Amino acid sequence: MTPMIDVVFLLLVFFVCTVRFERNEQVYRLDLPSRGNTADPLALQDAPLQIILGIRDGNRCSIELRSDGVRQTAANFELLATAMEQLRRRSGTTDGLFESSHPILIVPAAGSQWQDAVDGFNAAVRAGYANIGFAESKR
Amino acid sequence: MSLLHARGPARIDANMTPLIDLAFLLIVFFILVARMGGEQLPFVSLPEPHNAATTSAGSQPRLAVNVLASGDHAILSLGAKKFPNDESGHRALADAIAQRIRRDPTLPVDVRADRSLRYDMIEPALRAIAQAASQVGAQRVTIRVCALDERQANHE
Repeated sequence: MTPMIDVVFLLLVFFVCTVRFERNEQVYRLDLPSRGNTADPLALQDAPLQIILGIRDGNRCSIELRSDGVRQTAANFELLATAMEQLRRRSGTTDGLFESSHPILIVPAAGSQWQDAVDGFNAAVRAGYANIGFAESKR
Repeated sequence: MSLLHARGPARIDANMTPLIDLAFLLIVFFILVARMGGEQLPFVSLPEPHNAATTSAGSQPRLAVNVLASGDHAILSLGAKKFPNDESGHRALADAIAQRIRRDPTLPVDVRADRSLRYDMIEPALRAIAQAASQVGAQRVTIRVCALDERQANHE
């Protein structure tokens, strides 16, 4: 019996070694703005398009899009992604207000959940924006 | 000839089988320990956005800043090292991140935070990463937010 038990133990340890303990983790890129001195200090900064998130009340979370000349609310994150996509300027057209490189700022309320902040981030990524960051929470 | 040595003088042979078994077990044990020590990723209930537009985390080394839920408050850790959730702890976390980035500026910094936490509990970790990046003066520090892709999670 001894060799059999040895083999069984070895197989057991092998499977413990090879199993992935973490679930399939995915990531969003959240680069800090470049702090090089190549940027023109006199260049006008684009006012960011803000996604203002409220505190969740049951299944609802208030979502508002705010920027110069834009003030929209969305009932959920799917509609937020759609609204943001409509605001994005497509290459070769004059439709839309914001380039895909336009800064997007997620502004969650202090008591809002991290899940909602990430959902807001996800909506902006899905809408095709590339320059997205988190702001200080709104108190 | 003596009856005891009817087949010639007695020979002493070492039984190699248990030795090889033990050697294999030790090798596998050290592989296991090295893997766990290298990853240092505590279990975190990551956010699961609907229709996630995420990309794969890849298998390259990364610096994991974990924000774990513990009752009503959050625990900050860099890998397996925990930091107190106060001013001095946040400063120590920023210093530790800066030290690691200085050593390897290509290392992506991953924010692994529990989805049930409030945003203001995650903010110190985000602030510490931003502070570390400005301390190092790195031109581009890759910061990533970790989430689960619900489609892939459901397939597991």
